[in-house]
Amino acid sequence: MAHPYLFWLAGAVLLVGAGVLTALLPHRRAREEQRRTARSAARAAIDSAAVSRDAARGRVPEAERLLTRAESLVGGRGGADAARAAAGHARQADRLWRQHR
Amino acid sequence: MSARGYRRWAEPLRWTVLGVAVLVLVVFLVAQRQSIDVSYGRSPASSSGVDTDTAGASDQATVPSVTEMTALVAAAPVVRLPGAVASWNEERVRAVAGDTRILVAPPGLDKDERARVRDVENATIRVVGTEVSGGLYQASADTLPGWRAQFATGDVTDLLLTLITTLRKEPAPADRDELRWREPSGPELTAVLTDLRATGRHVAPGATLTDIPETAARNAFPDGAWYVALPPHRFGEPLPRYGPALSARFPDQPVVVMYGLWIEYHGPGAADFAELAGASFYGQFAGVLSRADYPQRNVLGVYLHRVTDIRYAGLFERPLPYRPADPLRVALPALPWLFAGCVAAFLILSARSLRRPDRGLGRRRDTAPVRLAGLTALAVEMSLLTDAGSNPALTRGIVTLQAARSAWEEKLPARHVRTLLDEAAAELDDTARQVGIASYRPDNYLRGRLS
Repeated sequence: MAHPYLFWLAGAVLLVGAGVLTALLPHRRAREEQRRTARSAARAAIDSAAVSRDAARGRVPEAERLLTRAESLVGGRGGADAARAAAGHARQADRLWRQHR
Repeated sequence: MSARGYRRWAEPLRWTVLGVAVLVLVVFLVAQRQSIDVSYGRSPASSSGVDTDTAGASDQATVPSVTEMTALVAAAPVVRLPGAVASWNEERVRAVAGDTRILVAPPGLDKDERARVRDVENATIRVVGTEVSGGLYQASADTLPGWRAQFATGDVTDLLLTLITTLRKEPAPADRDELRWREPSGPELTAVLTDLRATGRHVAPGATLTDIPETAARNAFPDGAWYVALPPHRFGEPLPRYGPALSARFPDQPVVVMYGLWIEYHGPGAADFAELAGASFYGQFAGVLSRADYPQRNVLGVYLHRVTDIRYAGLFERPLPYRPADPLRVALPALPWLFAGCVAAFLILSARSLRRPDRGLGRRRDTAPVRLAGLTALAVEMSLLTDAGSNPALTRGIVTLQAARSAWEEKLPARHVRTLLDEAAAELDDTARQVGIASYRPDNYLRGRLS
């Protein structure tokens, strides 16, 4: 060993590194999972809304606008919040189309 | 062990390990501030030596003026000023002396008086106390017999011979130990023993030992010692050999005998350290002692400190007094290993905590695939019966089922999969109600499938 102090320094760096890693990694993983879940939910809602649109009589511009917004939100690289907003828009569009049957 | 149970002890352990590691690190850092101490057993002896310049100057000792001394030296080859203590074998000195003129001054002169003696230019050799100097030279003894002769009897024969021959650039004659011993007589020994038994010390008339320096004595000889103080003897007068005589009768009793400023140790361990103590003591202080006039008590005190130092130095495997171990010093060598262990444990536990929960099939009680399959089969069956009215609901149900399937395949949270399945089931329920077949309602259908 070059110098006894290096030993302690290396140990301290390892400790801090491990601590940061164990704090950061699960956090990032949870966020990633949330994002994917929200996108999955949003996509499901958009697909449902698309089905409702095809089944609706006539056009509902309000619903179409909402669905377009939802699709652009999901298409972008947004996070969980954007995906949740997209899901909200899609559900609302879905509701509008169902009312126009 | 179940995963939950493992978590329950792994997490606290992980943080405990981290705490210990940090604590060890802090202890290590704090320990860096400790000074390095190389003493082997801390000696309680005070390190103060003998004050060299003013101490030991006697009020009575004085010398005449330089002029007077010069006149005296001019008149006689050897001048002994009042109070002079040095003496020598005149026969041997005369054999080499020639026209050497010797001025003998008493010990205990202060700085000015010593300078006056030095200024007597016609004296070839000056003797102050027993310090012999001449020209640029100063002769000093360097063996125990030499110091013994010098301090017990004031004998400077060898020093004079060395100095005279050196000044003449002649080879110096070999030293000769002229000290003579005699066995103490019965009555003498009885008197000394009586004193020693009563008070632990015997101070002969003429000796300057007033009392024993107590702390120094206790440190040097924790079990107590006997002290015999005799005045310096005249040159040629045999010294009574009290040390061996007392040791022969009391082998376990440490005995310290002083002849003037000469100190001897007799008793247990004498072979181990008496010579070392004497040599190191006189090697360091002979110069000061030879010209100064110290009371025996002061010299004895310094000698006892030296003995203590030697004892505590752990030489000769003499038992040391008990000293409690400093826990920090004992622990320090273990700290790096403890620290490394803690770091390793923390790393391992952290890595384990990072590992993804196992989602392998069969491990988890996952009803999603069964439900997904059941609902998919239901959708397929119902797709034959739907009309324009019920089609959208069925399609939405199928779309949602697909979403649930891909979510399950992507290992998204079970709750999310369940939500999607619930939505799909709701759509299918709608469809079944519109179609009007109660057994196609998902709850009934699934129950029928499972039974």
